[in-house]
Amino acid sequence: MARLFPQIICGFFGVVLFVLYFLKAPSAKSLYLTITSDYWQIIFAFALLVGVASFIRVNIKKLSILSESPYVITGLLGLFAMPVMALVWGIKGDSPFMWVFENVQVPLQATVFALLAFFVASASLRGFKARSLPATILLISALIALLSRSDIFGWLGNSALEFSEWIRSYPSMSARRGILIGIGLGSVTTSLRIILGIERTWLGKDR
Amino acid sequence: MDPGTIVAGILTIAILSFLYGDNPVYKMAETLLVGVSMGYVLVITWTNTLMAVLFKPLFLESQFWLVIPFIFGLFMFGRFHKSTSFLSRYSMAVLIGSGAGVAIPAMLGARTLRQMTATVEMVQGDSFLTIFSGLVVVVGLFSTLSYFYFSREHEGIMGRSAKVGTYFLMIFFGTTFGYTVMSRVSTFIGRMDFLLSDFLHLTN
Amino acid sequence: MNSTQSRHLAFAGLFIVVTVTMLLDISIVATVSNETKRMFDYLDNLPDSSVIIVSFDHEASSLPEMKPLGLVMLRHLFAKDHKLIGVALLAEGTGVGYRLMQETAKEYNKEYGRDYVFLGFKPQFIAAILSMGESIKGTFPEDYLGNATSQIELLSDVNNYDDVAAVVSLADGSLTTHWIEYGNEKYGVQISAAVAAAMLTTYDPYISSGQLKAMVGGLRGAAEYENLLGIGGSGARSMLAQSSAHLYIILLIIIGNFTYFRSRKKG
Repeated sequence: MARLFPQIICGFFGVVLFVLYFLKAPSAKSLYLTITSDYWQIIFAFALLVGVASFIRVNIKKLSILSESPYVITGLLGLFAMPVMALVWGIKGDSPFMWVFENVQVPLQATVFALLAFFVASASLRGFKARSLPATILLISALIALLSRSDIFGWLGNSALEFSEWIRSYPSMSARRGILIGIGLGSVTTSLRIILGIERTWLGKDR
Repeated sequence: MDPGTIVAGILTIAILSFLYGDNPVYKMAETLLVGVSMGYVLVITWTNTLMAVLFKPLFLESQFWLVIPFIFGLFMFGRFHKSTSFLSRYSMAVLIGSGAGVAIPAMLGARTLRQMTATVEMVQGDSFLTIFSGLVVVVGLFSTLSYFYFSREHEGIMGRSAKVGTYFLMIFFGTTFGYTVMSRVSTFIGRMDFLLSDFLHLTN
Repeated sequence: MNSTQSRHLAFAGLFIVVTVTMLLDISIVATVSNETKRMFDYLDNLPDSSVIIVSFDHEASSLPEMKPLGLVMLRHLFAKDHKLIGVALLAEGTGVGYRLMQETAKEYNKEYGRDYVFLGFKPQFIAAILSMGESIKGTFPEDYLGNATSQIELLSDVNNYDDVAAVVSLADGSLTTHWIEYGNEKYGVQISAAVAAAMLTTYDPYISSGQLKAMVGGLRGAAEYENLLGIGGSGARSMLAQSSAHLYIILLIIIGNFTYFRSRKKG
């Protein structure tokens, strides 16, 4: 029963939403939006709260490890400071909340992301080798893309740039289209399997 | 100098210190980022969703039907205890079921059929290059699809087609790698631009 | 040379190349690609004073790349006197989007509420896109500043996508796909995008099928767009560093392959 009822609810919502997508009646549209907008938003918001609560629980457990405690305290301080600031001064315009977002979160996040440039450089040196025909094609395509976007003074010439654009717009695009269609067909079959109750991995294991 | 710039500059250098190796300063900055990001999303979700979509309409405007998603939401907390963990399956059932129902028409229409139609249309044209390019796309698409078709052994024509598909995939991955390099380098340039101009005043 | 040393060397090289070229502080007028030109022409040919949704679909992590792109888009749209509706489909786009619109609006003497409005963040992007297709004011009863959207002058004649000429999605990930698959497919609204360079190849099939009208990508795209607008900016200022870094990565690939083939020959 613990697995059957959720499956029935899942199938019911799947069929209803599928049918509602095509209906033009205002009441059908309204129901469609109620589920996709309000239901989804609210359940996801609670899922986020569960995630935050888990984060706090795991970190409080880690507090007893002396070497970890400074980091745990920093993380928790960051987590609690944001809601407190939002509660006291609000979140709009020049509030302290936005100050922390702009001067702490944005630079930290952007710099973590910027580190990837270095790992890409390192990978180019150590891993990007013409070991086989497919690897050579990969390498040449990357070189063409990089070279074409390095041209700032027009020294590559128009035909070279056009060739690089052709590679992207035709052979490269066709493979991406294949992946896209593959994902599309895969999503449709997985969705059908979920609705029909064949795919049940989302239910997890019985504890 | 503006205190915000000083803080942002120090934190930028703290993260960049990871390039030399993992160190306490980087770790501190990293955990601060995790905490602050989570706090930010928590606040935005509270104000934009829980207050705006649930609590205000439910308690101030008496939209009582919101009790249903509210209950499904509360069920998510069931995950914290063994005896109540089954409750969260009901919330997941709503999300996964309705998500699947919404995905089918979108995936079939916008993704599969429209892309197929566009491929066939590309073969039409009045110049050799247009028709040739269109044929390249047709060959690329079908060989890529055959590479991902695992219900049959990759032997004979199927095997050869899958092999050609690998080459097309390599062209795509290589081109994407090139553009990814561009993207990551741009992000680093942006941070260096901030450090050199705003923080250190070495450039304008 | 062991692996740690070679990694540190690759790191140091990139750091030096970017720092030195940035210190030279040279702005370069980038040659314009066909892709950027198409995006420029598409936006330029929209009727003046059209209502356009600018969707900030990116996170803070990609801001160094997305900010220059966002700025050129907003500058072009404000210069053409379009009426802009800002929204954010990712939480972090909220603060960023409002600031960018506010700063750019000042440059063009645009008034909040009449020439532009920022509606803020709506969680669950698919739901938000579908919901705006029925009613924009219903989806956002209040704007980012807490004003009732029913009282905002710009929105008085705007109900849903039927009253919107185009959507410009500023994305560092796959959110533009949802604009295409739900906004365009179900409601027929025209979608164009300014995306992180890494996402350009992802969207190529949509450009080819016409589901995405036009797109521009990366810092290089921003620099080319600045060129078309006839203005300077961080795109042009970064082009020397960008191109030098590309050439440095090409050099690393060549060195890596040279040592690989040499060791294979010896082995």
